[in-house]
Amino acid sequence: MHRPLHWVLVAAGAASVPALATQYLTAEQSQTVMFPEATAFRRQDIALSTPQMQQVEKLAGISSRSVNWRVVAALKGDQLIGYVVLDDVVGKFELISYAVGLNLDASVRQVEILTYRESHGGEIRNPAWRRQFVGKRAQGGIAVGEGIANISGATLSCTHITDGVRRIAAIAQVVLAK
Amino acid sequence: MMRRAQPWLGTLVDITLDSQAASEAVTAAFAKIARVHRLMSFHDSASDVARFNRAQAGAFVDVDPHTWNVLQLAAQVADACGDCFNLACASQLLEWAYLPAAMTPAPPFVPGARAFELDGIGRVRKTADAWIDLGGIAKGYAVDLAIESLQSHGVDSACVNAGGDLRVFGASAWPVSVRAADQPGAIGAQLALRNAALATSAHYFSAKRTPAGIMVSALIDGRSGQAVLARRSVSVRAASCAVADALTKVVMASGDAAHPCLEKFGAAAFII
Repeated sequence: MHRPLHWVLVAAGAASVPALATQYLTAEQSQTVMFPEATAFRRQDIALSTPQMQQVEKLAGISSRSVNWRVVAALKGDQLIGYVVLDDVVGKFELISYAVGLNLDASVRQVEILTYRESHGGEIRNPAWRRQFVGKRAQGGIAVGEGIANISGATLSCTHITDGVRRIAAIAQVVLAK
Repeated sequence: MMRRAQPWLGTLVDITLDSQAASEAVTAAFAKIARVHRLMSFHDSASDVARFNRAQAGAFVDVDPHTWNVLQLAAQVADACGDCFNLACASQLLEWAYLPAAMTPAPPFVPGARAFELDGIGRVRKTADAWIDLGGIAKGYAVDLAIESLQSHGVDSACVNAGGDLRVFGASAWPVSVRAADQPGAIGAQLALRNAALATSAHYFSAKRTPAGIMVSALIDGRSGQAVLARRSVSVRAASCAVADALTKVVMASGDAAHPCLEKFGAAAFII
């Protein structure tokens, strides 16, 4: 996956919009922040069946969007203590990667933003542009906090994240809850 | 440097620390913001705001001391600016679908009607058949609580930014960029902020045409209930972010960056 070409693209993309891209936590850091008591994390991706997708849609009131979901199990010793689901959402101007920490009963424990990228040139709608970033670390592009000022401006709504968290909570209830 | 963000109050809240300080301090600060979110959410039927909106005119509503603080500041700003800033604009925001449709229809906006009054023992009395929304001030208040929380955890320098309403503290100044008024992807101003708050309002993300063909925005002149459509970006600097947040609406509605209200609250504004 980590071909050199990929990182070149990330660097170029980040360089053109330095102030509007922010790297927060890596996926691994978010797991530790959300489950500080965990001793290990194990990748445990899931694929939703058609009936499961229908159940998710019924519970969340929005489309279940994807069959495949990136899931990490949090373990304390041998014991399962929760899950982290990794996802990306696309808004009108923004592409946001985030992680949702879930308890075993499928309740949401915490949400952490991983990366935020904003574009006003229409690139957000371009799947090829988005693929540079989705599910990837911004390594080689932007370091945490590096040279990025805080921005004051009108509030950009985070409806897409709110919807995304609701969808993931429904998936957890249908597929992961004990 | 450590930077984390979580979705609260309808936007992303970003906390930056100058050092790799304890993660627990940041988690505790986010917990304060989450509390403001739960108390002051318009959507959540268990919030103080939802209970106020459901109450009959004339009724007393018990609210959390934090909600009380926000209502008190809102009333002080409304008094000082002749109601340019008015929490009872919720009805207009609902009508224009900036707030999600409620179970029961909202009462119409009545210019000049005050929705509430505060008594001396922590109670709120609903004084008109009106709904309130704290979206124009609660983000700033949440930022202030988060800053206080970070300070109490021994953090010596930080920036908390709730979707553009931010506050910084520490020995050195923080660089802050302000979005350009007509091109929000570009930077219209840059400044260094030290131990102060800066809030910005503009309609570049919210302006739209209603199904009836009328241009509206989420920024409302509290006197008339009319949307403010001027293409300007208003930034206010103040000691507290709640004050800065509320005063941006005063300057936005009045178009006056030297509005007398600013001086009363020790604030300053610029329009770009």
